[in-house]
Amino acid sequence: MSTNKIDPNKWVDRYSDYLFNYTIVRVNDREVANDLISETFLAGLKSMKNFKGEATERTWLISILKRKIIDHYRKSNSKKGKAEIKIQYNDDSSEGDWLEENAPDRFDKTAEDVMENEELGVAILECMGQLNEKQAKIFKMKTIDGFDTEAICNEFNITPSNLWVIIHRARTILAQCLEKNWY
Amino acid sequence: MNNKKTFLVDCSEAAKCCDKSQYKESSIAEKVKMLLHLVFCKNCRKYSSNNTRLTKLIEKSNIQTCTEEQKKAWREKIKKEFTDI
Ligand SMILES: [Zn+2]
Repeated sequence: MSTNKIDPNKWVDRYSDYLFNYTIVRVNDREVANDLISETFLAGLKSMKNFKGEATERTWLISILKRKIIDHYRKSNSKKGKAEIKIQYNDDSSEGDWLEENAPDRFDKTAEDVMENEELGVAILECMGQLNEKQAKIFKMKTIDGFDTEAICNEFNITPSNLWVIIHRARTILAQCLEKNWY
Repeated sequence: MNNKKTFLVDCSEAAKCCDKSQYKESSIAEKVKMLLHLVFCKNCRKYSSNNTRLTKLIEKSNIQTCTEEQKKAWREKIKKEFTDI
């Protein structure tokens, strides 16, 4: 049985989009999301020795991130007034060591919707892992960030024809990858 | 995909137009040619429906990713902190 290993130098390439997507749904602010992920990476580096290899690296990073997000909510709640916090957290839980279960996992949006869309988002991001680096970057810029064809062509020094060939390959791979579960 | 030539455009052109349509970047003339092609080409109809479905799934998932600058900053930070440990 092989245990999961840790490789921090690969974290950004492997997980940052996934972590970002997970966070932005919950905090709805890019700056805050970026900060929380920075903190997560640093906390991860500091507690690497606690990683037992039982969970995947990604699951482990998410568990750290979850705490950061809840901490963030806790802080912004305490700015609004302490009364709210009492409802959300157990009185007997000590600072920084309160139970995760007692905090709301999903915030404003309808839980089911968020969950299904999130699952879908994870599936898509995982399938994107099958693209090579250039395909993934170009596909993302074009499809998710909505950049102009011209802007992308300039950035990568390619012709529009090149771009559409890359987009075509990416879309074919993604459609095939998602076919099993989502079509 | 075999390159069936049906009414003015072949499969690769039809596919390209289909891709461009996903980003609303195909012209009306291109679309008409593509639609004509689809009438006669089962493979491209399949591609077109999968492709449209992919667009809908991506929209529905509402994926947001971080910027390349941010990634670069994280990479450097991790590299630095990691070697400091
Ligand atoms: Zn065809």
